[in-house]
Amino acid sequence: MAEPSVWVIIPAYNEGQVLAETLRELQEYNASYHLVVVDDGSTDNTSGIAREFAVHLLVHPMNLGQGAALATGIEYALRQKADIVVTFDADGQMRPADINPLVEAVVKDGLDVALGSRFLKSADSKMPTLKKIILRLGTIFTRLTTGLNITDTHNGLRAFKAETFAKLHITQNGMAHASEILTAIARCKLTYRELPVTIRYTEYSKRKGQGASNAINILFELFSRGGK
Amino acid sequence: MITIKLILIALLLVILRAFLVQKSLLLIKRAVAVLMFAGLLILVLFPDISTRAANIMGIGRGADLLFYLAHLFFLLVAVTLWRRTITLNDAVTRLARELAIRNAERPNEKAD
Repeated sequence: MAEPSVWVIIPAYNEGQVLAETLRELQEYNASYHLVVVDDGSTDNTSGIAREFAVHLLVHPMNLGQGAALATGIEYALRQKADIVVTFDADGQMRPADINPLVEAVVKDGLDVALGSRFLKSADSKMPTLKKIILRLGTIFTRLTTGLNITDTHNGLRAFKAETFAKLHITQNGMAHASEILTAIARCKLTYRELPVTIRYTEYSKRKGQGASNAINILFELFSRGGK
Repeated sequence: MITIKLILIALLLVILRAFLVQKSLLLIKRAVAVLMFAGLLILVLFPDISTRAANIMGIGRGADLLFYLAHLFFLLVAVTLWRRTITLNDAVTRLARELAIRNAERPNEKAD
């Protein structure tokens, strides 16, 4: 089999400040990756910065949420005959070096999905304590609702076999899509593995990212859409 | 007493008309609307009826009965609107997605 094409989906909402650095790091790490930036209706120069790089740029006409942006990028990658789809954050929290082990796990070991986890190795990422507690509660919630034994339920770094993702049908537009993906993994009985990744908690990402309090919103989103 | 009745009747008719002028309205919905407004009209003209109906159902006052019914009605409206919002949101998302994908800007250097 020829070298599988890896498509990295980067949802970006008002990330003009850090997007350039994130894209530069990704391109330096592996120039063969196809980068897809999904500008989720930003009001800053996110699109302008993306245009300075050799990336595929998709622009939502309005802000729809990270889940929707990911789904758009993935749909696009599938239509471009992607083999592997990777989800990656624009805010500079993730390390490009963590991508390849995930891709390798999917390609070499034939898994449907490889998930990044912040908790598999000794935490060298200086995660805020409250956030740690909330994420632990998230793993318990996930175990109860899906039966999956996963150490990190809301990690945005994952690699999927493209054909698998096409079957998942992600409908959560907001942040609850991370739980939704796990539910789908359980429902479709996908083969998965968690691999350690390092998340850098920069001042920017702490300010920009989800606060621990957003867990309440995620629960609400899940329940209000649950009946559909 | 007469003035408030006139105001209420006028308002009822205005709202009923606003509802019925919608062209694409199912006949069944028109019928239900007319019946509901007829009922309200009767209640405005003869308020004692609600008290009698309430007593039959073991509720003290007619106003209480109307209060409960109004509550149920608005809950129904809220749930209906909420469901419709979800459907609309999904449609908008799909539309935005298709638009974004069709207008995708591809990298210049890479020919893939």
